[in-house]
Amino acid sequence: DQARSDPTSASDKKVILLPCKNPPNRERVHLWLEARKQYECLQKWRREAGLL
Amino acid sequence: MTTLTRQDLNFGQVIADILCEFLEVAIHLILYVREVYPSGIFQKRKKYNVPVQMSCHPELNQYIQDTLHCVKPLIEKNDAEKVVVVIMDKEHHPVERFVFEISQPPLLSISSETLLSHVEQLLRAFILKISVCDAILNNNPPGCSFTVLVHTRDAATRNMEKVQVIKDFPWIVADEQEVHMQEPRLIPLKTMTSDIVKMQLYVEERAQKT
Repeated sequence: DQARSDPTSASDKKVILLPCKNPPNRERVHLWLEARKQYECLQKWRREAGLL
Repeated sequence: MTTLTRQDLNFGQVIADILCEFLEVAIHLILYVREVYPSGIFQKRKKYNVPVQMSCHPELNQYIQDTLHCVKPLIEKNDAEKVVVVIMDKEHHPVERFVFEISQPPLLSISSETLLSHVEQLLRAFILKISVCDAILNNNPPGCSFTVLVHTRDAATRNMEKVQVIKDFPWIVADEQEVHMQEPRLIPLKTMTSDIVKMQLYVEERAQKT
């Protein structure tokens, strides 16, 4: 609490943090979306062909 | 009707839960509205009694959840001054910043009814403002990405380190490049004042995006 009330304290210094890891990039997400669409098409075809 | 006070052990946790749930919805919606990811990964859901767009991409969803899981202990202790969703161009320079400025006023007591209905109503307005903000913002250049910044104090980072997930999801101090924006245009979106939390949301937009 003492550190908090003392603005000159090193531990009270303002900091801006961010995650070290990056979120998935757009291309990666796009590939996932394409793969999912293909999978869904395949599943639909299998259902229609009576394979599921 | 239950009455909660600051002395209640779970009070900070309740506020952090409410805000992190809201921030999760807000981040998904910002990524959708600002076209950071293909629209095909988003599905329409209902949150705060309004339609929102939420991602169904497992890796992205996990990333957002991990981020907020680490931010939660800071909010719980009233140590997160700002949570900022930054949209960056291909060169990793910020083009837009959605700044959630959070403060928790001193409080003597509050009813649980106030907590649930009034705050939810106020948060709904934020969601609605985010969903239409593309009308007042300029288009972003192609190939943008995003990150989340949290403005806190050095001493408070110890609370973050206690979280188990931090071991697999470490945080670092932001570089000048990630924080600085040239001649930003400030666009206020929404302000809320309630018994438990005060929050304002504004967008800082880079004047020259391309």
